[in-house]
Order: sequence, then structure tokens, then C-alpha cells
Amino acid sequence: MTSWIRLAAPAALVSAIAPPAYAVQYLSIAQAQKQAFPSATSFAQVDARSWKAQSGGTVLGLIVVDHVIGKHLYIDYTVALDPGGRIKRVDILQYRESYGGEVRDASWLAQFVGKSSASALKVDQDIRNISGATLSSHHVTEGVKRIVAAYGNRAR
Amino acid sequence: MSVDRERRNVAGFINVQSALPTLIATASILSASGSAVVAGDVSDVSARTASVSDKSNEELLKKMRAMEQRIEMLEGKLKQQKQGSATATGSAPQTTAPAQAAASPAPARAARAQATSAWPPTGAPSPTPTAPANNGLLGLTDSPVPGLSLGAYGEVKFGAFKNPDAGGKWQNGFDVHRFVLLPTYAITPNIIFNAEIEFEHGGIALDADDKRHGTAEIEQLWIDFKIHDKFNWRSPGVDLVPIGYINQRHEPTQFYSVNRPELYNGLIPSTFMVPATSIYGRLMDGLSYQIQASSSVEDFGDDFDKRTDANSVPLGGYAAGITGLSALHDSRPVVGDFRQLNNTIAYAGKLDFAPPFVPGFAGSVSGYFSPNITPRGAYADTGATLGRNSLALFDAEFRYRVPSTGLELRGEYVRASFGNPANLRANNDSDPTNNVGKSMFGWSGEVAYHFQLGTILNSEWEAVPFYRYTYQNLQTNGFAGTDANEPTGAGRLQFYTAGIAVFPSPKVALKATYQKVKNKDPGGANSDSVLGGVGFFF
Repeated sequence: MTSWIRLAAPAALVSAIAPPAYAVQYLSIAQAQKQAFPSATSFAQVDARSWKAQSGGTVLGLIVVDHVIGKHLYIDYTVALDPGGRIKRVDILQYRESYGGEVRDASWLAQFVGKSSASALKVDQDIRNISGATLSSHHVTEGVKRIVAAYGNRAR
Repeated sequence: MSVDRERRNVAGFINVQSALPTLIATASILSASGSAVVAGDVSDVSARTASVSDKSNEELLKKMRAMEQRIEMLEGKLKQQKQGSATATGSAPQTTAPAQAAASPAPARAARAQATSAWPPTGAPSPTPTAPANNGLLGLTDSPVPGLSLGAYGEVKFGAFKNPDAGGKWQNGFDVHRFVLLPTYAITPNIIFNAEIEFEHGGIALDADDKRHGTAEIEQLWIDFKIHDKFNWRSPGVDLVPIGYINQRHEPTQFYSVNRPELYNGLIPSTFMVPATSIYGRLMDGLSYQIQASSSVEDFGDDFDKRTDANSVPLGGYAAGITGLSALHDSRPVVGDFRQLNNTIAYAGKLDFAPPFVPGFAGSVSGYFSPNITPRGAYADTGATLGRNSLALFDAEFRYRVPSTGLELRGEYVRASFGNPANLRANNDSDPTNNVGKSMFGWSGEVAYHFQLGTILNSEWEAVPFYRYTYQNLQTNGFAGTDANEPTGAGRLQFYTAGIAVFPSPKVALKATYQKVKNKDPGGANSDSVLGGVGFFF
């Protein structure tokens, strides 16, 4: 019994002193905007979930925030589109589940770059399945595809 | 506009957006059904008055009163529904929702699931107008509690098998092997509850006419404290040992054969669940770890009620937990009632990697070590006391989906080593055939090919034919103990497994598998099988 206490104590201590406001949020929306459009001087809100990135009077593109279910819990992510409706960048803002976080790997997300509503955007076709994160990889891919379809012609 | 203000606006928008379509939908459904009922009654009434002219006014009044009551009841229901959804969405601020967003009721439901509580956390985005419904309960309906979801997985199996206990005769059979419910609840964004409630072989029934002798068990139960990407804590609970790939990801959509890969039947006694606590995290892209402390494996394979009240092995002989025939299959620690048979804490660790420079490749190395697996009071049939004996497990495995092709390769190696095999019960139980040497090992290689079958019934189907070869040697050299040592060769096994798994969606697998089993026992019958299976995970 004492072993349990011994074992649990360090972790409990860390969780107790960890800053309480610190969720496992990898990026805020503002950070994702900056990452997608570093040269933008302003982000004009278009609707509740999308912003137009602008530099002076020029529209650089659109960034859309969305979430999908992973296995059980939400994955929050952003999709940045260039004025031509092609994907500039996909970022995972939050991933809450214990398994399947590999969708956050930069190399996996990089596959979306350059794709548009004309692309297949399907796991096992132009997007790799992630072993051990099958549902998450399918659901994120489906989510990105929906965004490209809904916002692809509105990024200019 | 500051991010904070944006968030508030987003939240406000969610509330309105979620409240409106729900209300409209429920109102229209209720009023439609209400008016249908009323209309039905009215026509009924008029028909009666027309055909039976001498009906008394009293009867008509009665009927009308009944109608009134019905209308009142329906109105009450409507009101309740309104209140219900109002509570669910909180007090919706009167902001104007963008017209395009209100177009679909689906995100409203998703949004309702996250409104009012702190979940998801600040900065969480709203769903897109095109997002699918968030059906938190088994994919069927909304979750009544924000953050709560209920998933499931299961396996149904059927077919023909050679029964070694019937002299190798072929027999037909059916097994609703597993049905598992998976409740998950995000108590806060950082504190996440997880459990698996499992029914095996149809559950348990004590009535003679129900004829079920399975299990209903808690297979997993823990609370995760998400602290940092690199460091999270999983509370003490029932958890899976982080060893190999299939032990932790054992859902039937993760492998292609009807039964789990053979290495997970004994060398890794999946589902290898233990009383445990662990830390885990993601060190960088493609590299994550888990370290676990758990209640040790015990070399005791007898019924639960055979353990004495002193939590020791019973007198008069007992079955070994680890043998040269079934490996570690019967050695898992109990998870209940403070009935563990030793004080030992075992440790396990796993590194998962998916190097970015080899796209499609994922693998892991993992290990498990218990300083002592000998149960309290363990003895040899000669009467000698059995002393300490350690167990070390090692696993290395990979999965490689060759990019831009359908080709997938998997491989795995498992080894179990014993510090002092002379103290294993199997080597001291008067059975000369089930002895164990210094170690056991097994390996497997698998090749599979993914074919896209196109869109059928509104989903994209995939077919995956596969072939797997598995070799296991559970009776290596280095035997020590008081038994005579006459292994028959039954612990040296080869499995040739071929079949096809058809995935109508990533969540469903229809499987057919043929398996040929060979062992080195010249007199033994083998358990070949032709099985069909239906697996699901959502």
C-alpha cells in the first residue's frame, strides 16, 4: 500500500504545482493565425469561425477554425487557405485523448499543404493513415475536406 | 478585436445557434404530431356524429375533454423540451447568428454538448456549419452531459475449428467474444475519465436455461491528468500494460485476423490489464513514452476462490500461472478485493516512434519487469518452498504502410525471461510436460495489402487480404525444478494465418481467416480453424 503512495506522490505533486490554467492547448487561435500568415497585419473576422488575413489592402487568405471528434473527444484545428482556395497550413490546436495524438505530427499535417477542393483528401489515397490513430486521422481529414469545400472559394 | 472578445462572441454564437434550431425542430415535431393526433380525433368525432346521430352530447363532451387533456399534455411536453434545451444551452445571449451558420442543425447539437460547462476550454472553436452531428452515445444520440461520450467495440466470431480435446475433430461454433462499452468523460479539459466495461462470451448468467459462462468485468478504469504535452499522469486504476502494439490497441479494427495475433494469447497475455498508475507524454513529433508501475504478474493460474484468506496459495496443489504450454496466459494479477498474492510492484515502459523521415512507419519497443512473481506460500509438490523469481518481458514491433501503395508490413518479436525458473510452479507441479525453461520467445511477420473497393452503401469500402506467420517457443532450454523434464514439443508452435478483412468503414471490419497450427508434439492434435468475424469500434 505504501508503494502506491510512494509512486503516486511525485505525479500528484507535479499536478498540484502545475499552473492550473495551463490546459494542454498547443496553439491558440491567434497563434495559429500568426503561424499561417506571418506577414499579415490584420485578421478580419468573416464569420464566427473564419478570419481573413490581410496585409495592407491585400487579402492573403482565410483561416478557419473547427473541431472534429477524434475517438471520443474533440480535436480542435485550423485550416489556412490561400486566395486560390489551396490549403496553406493545417494546425492542431488541442488534442484531448490519451491515444492517437500522432495527428499532431508536422509531417502528417504537411500532407494537406497545397491540396484544394479538387483534391481527393481521403485517407489511404492522398493522406496517409496513421497506425494507432485511425479514427483521428480519418476524422481530421474529413474535417479538412469539409472546410475546403465550404470555404475554398471564399478565401480571396 | 482581441482574441478574448472573439472567444466570447464565438461562445455567444454557439448558444444562440444551438438553441434556435433545436427549439424549432422540437416545436415543429411536437406540433406536427400534436396536430396529427388532434386531426385524427376530430375526423373520428365527425365520423361518429355523422353515422351515429343519436350519440349523446355527453359522450361528445367526454371526447372533447379527452382531447383537451391531450393537447394540454402535449403543450406540457413542448414546454419541457423548451426548458430542457434552454438549460442545455445556458442563457443564450441575444446576438445575431450569421445566417449561413444557422443553416444546419447538426452543429447545434455539437455545440450544445460543449455549452454551459468549462468544456471545451477557453478558446475552443465552434464547429463548422458542415460538421457532422456529435452523437456522443454510441453514435446514436446526443450526450445528455457535456463532455460525456459512450463508445463501444466488440467482436462476434463463428466458424469451424479442430478441437484438440475431441481428438482433432472439426466442430462448428459461435462466440460473441467481446462487447465492450467505453465511457469517456472530460471532467475538465485537463481531467479525463476513461473506462472499459467488458462482457465476454455473452456475459454471465446463473440460470441453467441461459447457459452463459463468460465475464462481466472492468477492463480499464482510470482518470488522466493532462498536465503537459510531455508529462501527464494516469491515476491508479485498472490499466493496460504498455507492451507491444495490440495490448493497448486491441480493438478488432486494429488487426486483420478474426482472433488477436497469436503473440498476444500467451507471451503477452492480452488483454494484459493490471492495477496500475503511469506517466506518459509526447517528447517530440513521432516520439512518445509511457512508464507504468503496476501490481505484479503472479505465478498462480487457479480459480480466484482458491486463494486463501491469508492471500496465499492453497494447500493440496494449485495450477501454475505460467506454463510451457500457455505461457503467461493465466498469470495476470487480480484487480479486485485486495486479493493480490504478493507485494511486488512491477514496472513497464514503452517508447512509440513514427520517424518523420520514414513516412508510413510506426513502431515501438517496450519492456516489463517484475522483481518477483512467486505468490505467497508457493511450494513444489515435493513440499519445498519456492523462492523468488523475476520476470522480464521485452517487445519490439513495427508497422509499415509503404507510402502511395496498398502494401503494409508488420513484424514483432517478444521475449519473456525468468530470473530463476527453478521457482516456477510449472516446474514443480509433478507435470513433466508443461515445464518452462529460462525464457520463452515468439516472433511474427505479416504482409497485407489494402484495396479500395469504392463507394458502397454511402461509404468507402476497403479490403485487406493478409498473411501472417508466427513462431513461438515456450519451452526453451534451461529447465530447472523438481519435475521430471519431458516436454512433448507442444510448446513449440507455428501458426500460418491467412485471410481477408473487409472494412465497410474504418469502424467496422468483416473478417474471414484460415489458420493452420503446427506444433512439435507428434501425438498432439492441432487447433486449425476457419473463422468468420464481425468487429466494430466507434
